[in-house]
Amino acid sequence: MELAWYALLGLFFATYLVLGGYDYGVGLLLARRTDPARRRAALHAVGPFFLGNEVWLVAAVGILFGAFPTLEGELLSGLYPAVTGALVGVIVVTAGVQLRSRPAGPRARAGWDRVIVAGSTLAALGWGAVLGGLLQGVPLTADGHVDGVGHLFTPFVAAVCLALLALVAAHGATFLTLRLPAAEVPPLLRLARRLVPVALVTVGAATVVALLSPRVRDAVQQPLVAVLLLGALVTALLAARVALGLRRTGVAFVATSVALALPVLLVGAATWPYALVSTAGPETGLTVAEAAASGPTLRLLGWLALPLVPALLGFQAMCWWVFRGRADGRTPVYW
Amino acid sequence: MDTLLLARLQFATTASIHFLFVIVTLGLVTLLVGLQTAGYLTGKAKYERLTRFWGTLYVINYVLGIATGIVMEFQFGLNWSGLSRYVGNVFGAPLAIETLVAFFLESTFLGMWIFGWHRLRRGVHLALIWGVALTAYASAFWIMVANAWLQNPVGYEVRDGVAHLTDFSALLTNPALGIALGHVVSAALLTGGLLMAAVSAGHLLRRTPDFDLFRTSLRLGVVTAAVGILLVQGFGFTQFAPVSQVQPTKFGSSPDGEALIAEWTARFGPGDYTPPVLANVGLGFMILIGMGLSLFWLLLPLLWRDRIIRLRFPLWLVICALPLPFVAAILGWIAREIGRQPWVAYGLLPTEQAVSPVGPGVLLASSVTFTLLLGALAVANWTLLARHAVRGAADPALGRPPQQTRPPATEEPAFA
Ligand code: HDD
Ligand code: HEM
Ligand code: HEM
Repeated sequence: MELAWYALLGLFFATYLVLGGYDYGVGLLLARRTDPARRRAALHAVGPFFLGNEVWLVAAVGILFGAFPTLEGELLSGLYPAVTGALVGVIVVTAGVQLRSRPAGPRARAGWDRVIVAGSTLAALGWGAVLGGLLQGVPLTADGHVDGVGHLFTPFVAAVCLALLALVAAHGATFLTLRLPAAEVPPLLRLARRLVPVALVTVGAATVVALLSPRVRDAVQQPLVAVLLLGALVTALLAARVALGLRRTGVAFVATSVALALPVLLVGAATWPYALVSTAGPETGLTVAEAAASGPTLRLLGWLALPLVPALLGFQAMCWWVFRGRADGRTPVYW
Repeated sequence: MDTLLLARLQFATTASIHFLFVIVTLGLVTLLVGLQTAGYLTGKAKYERLTRFWGTLYVINYVLGIATGIVMEFQFGLNWSGLSRYVGNVFGAPLAIETLVAFFLESTFLGMWIFGWHRLRRGVHLALIWGVALTAYASAFWIMVANAWLQNPVGYEVRDGVAHLTDFSALLTNPALGIALGHVVSAALLTGGLLMAAVSAGHLLRRTPDFDLFRTSLRLGVVTAAVGILLVQGFGFTQFAPVSQVQPTKFGSSPDGEALIAEWTARFGPGDYTPPVLANVGLGFMILIGMGLSLFWLLLPLLWRDRIIRLRFPLWLVICALPLPFVAAILGWIAREIGRQPWVAYGLLPTEQAVSPVGPGVLLASSVTFTLLLGALAVANWTLLARHAVRGAADPALGRPPQQTRPPATEEPAFA
């Protein structure tokens, strides 16, 4: 029962990183010196999906609260600066995307685009810090609280932040190769092909820092799984690179999506059976079973989730289906 | 400053700002459903134009409102980890249901509604706005279930110092829920109606070329507000009985309250178990506003032969009344939430035990950040609403027919 809920939590958060990831990736790419029409077109490509992407985060936190209340409290308050940073980023992007086209002047719009770039950066770095912070373990005291927030500031967390930033940028560029009109694609293909190796380098750097850090080595409970999943991540990125070279943009997008989902799986599986690994010793760690809500709550939510999750997926799929294809002049203009 | 005070201040500010968005969302979406359904059934272009105009205002408010809601959701874990630890088994369930059942679908539907104009069949597009409205009400329901549980914890038992769920149906029949929900929803209707009436009044005062259009929305707004204020008063006065029964310490001292305080003193040790008086001052002002807004009944007869427009001063009255429901709503929440102090979950978990063990510096930083950020959002929201309202219904971007000039591009499936 707990495992099923933990998996569902992982699924929702990973899907958020995949879907929200290309929002932020596209947001980051607004930093390029392109003309206003291109920037607008890029946002336009995201348009219909934007609201539907963000709700995966809201739902993930809902599951976290309903099914893992203890984890919710300790995780969010224990990683306070990381979570707040990510949250501020998410809000800034949401507001920026909505507000950027309201002023008519090109300067004001360019200003808002910079706000979106900043928000996207912050969101990517913040979620990177959350993942890195979880993987390196937190100092849990005997009464089960996370001790302070200083534990977050390590080279490993910084490396994971950068890796996530690079992954998100590569993912966003790949998304655009799939969504923008065919004429716009060649330069984007080149961009995406340059960004994927950058992501590979940052993932490699994070791996090296992890291997050098005794804290990360101790925190990882399932080293074999961790190595395998890391291998899968590298494979996904290599596959994306190859697919981009062959102009198979759909395949490339699947590959970068996998690359953004895998870090969540990696953190969850590598620290299993703990939800929060304690750097103060295994006896203070919080296991998934301990973190879960008690039986009646999980059963109640389970009966609810059984019909609901397929319905949620169905409506999301409907949204993707309705707005499939390249964004051309015919899609309604809003952003 | 201590963390408890900072965390409370942060919650109060962010929740108040969030609620400013929420009442507009809930109120306007109800009216939008009416407008778009009327357009679908009658096929009149006027209703389509009205839907696009009011839809623009609705969407602006919604999208910026989301940002404030996300902060609310995270805040429980960030600042109130004790809440999840001790009562999360019970309190978390309605919130989880809400995010899954309501928010998730609401935003998905709304995204499709915004971009689905001229792309989806009209019936499907109409169904989407119905979906948005129903899920918005569902979210208000589940959020109020959660809040009512904090006001009056039911359906649980405490084992090992932690509350466990025993009877979920008790949460749904909580005496602190039904009437409060009715009160909140009618407050939203009142606010939505008043907003619609006030914007229309502004256009009519400026002698808009769109006279017919804004005449319709003025009438719709005034009638909605009149119905809304009646319901607000009804639910409001009815609320006193059940609330003072489950929370005898809330509205000043009473024999029941004294008895409860004596019981708490025996169980939890001596302490100050009476809420600050401040709460009830706000309540008085809210009731004053509520009675004052009875004005809308007087406006109803003036709808006859457009007297309300020809006399002009009623239009000014409507515009001046616009801030009142917002003030009343915040005061009402402050009364409800401060009135349950010093408990987070009434009689079960003291507020000071619920606050996260984070340093005051961290909390101060996040309080300042979120207050500034959400305050800026509220200002941006109202500036934009005002600007788009003034611009009028000539040609809103929302639902604009696509330019037919470009050749249809080849369609490829995007998610192959
Ligand atoms: C447009 C806004 C508005 C207006 C005009 C009124 N209210 Fe209200 N009131 C609210 C908006 C609101 C609210 C924001 O929706 C509250 C906060 C929590 C709740 O359940 O509703 C509330 C709470 C609230 C409470 C506190 C319940 C509690 O502590 O649990 C009472 C007793 C009343 N109201 C009574 C009234 C009366 C007698 C009114 C006037 C005739 C009135 N309200 C007008
Ligand atoms: C329905 C959902 C809501 C829930 C679950 C909720 C829960 C909480 C919690 C956990 C706190 C902090 C602990 C405390 O001080 O007791 C709080 C405080 C507060 N909330 Fe709410 N709240 C809700 C809605 C609102 C709304 C919409 C408003 C205002 C518009 C509001 C106004 C306040 C205020 C003023 C405080 C501070 C009270 C004080 O500390 O004295 N709440 N609420
Ligand atoms: C303190 C508790 C609250 C929390 C945790 C909370 C959470 C949220 C979240 C996460 C969103 C964004 C959803 C999305 O992404 O679509 C949101 C929006 C919304 N919330 Fe709240 N909320 C609270 C209080 C309330 C109250 C008291 C009501 C109504 C009675 C309410 C009604 C709504 C509505 C209608 C929306 C739609 C968007 C908008 O605000 O314009 N919420 N809320």
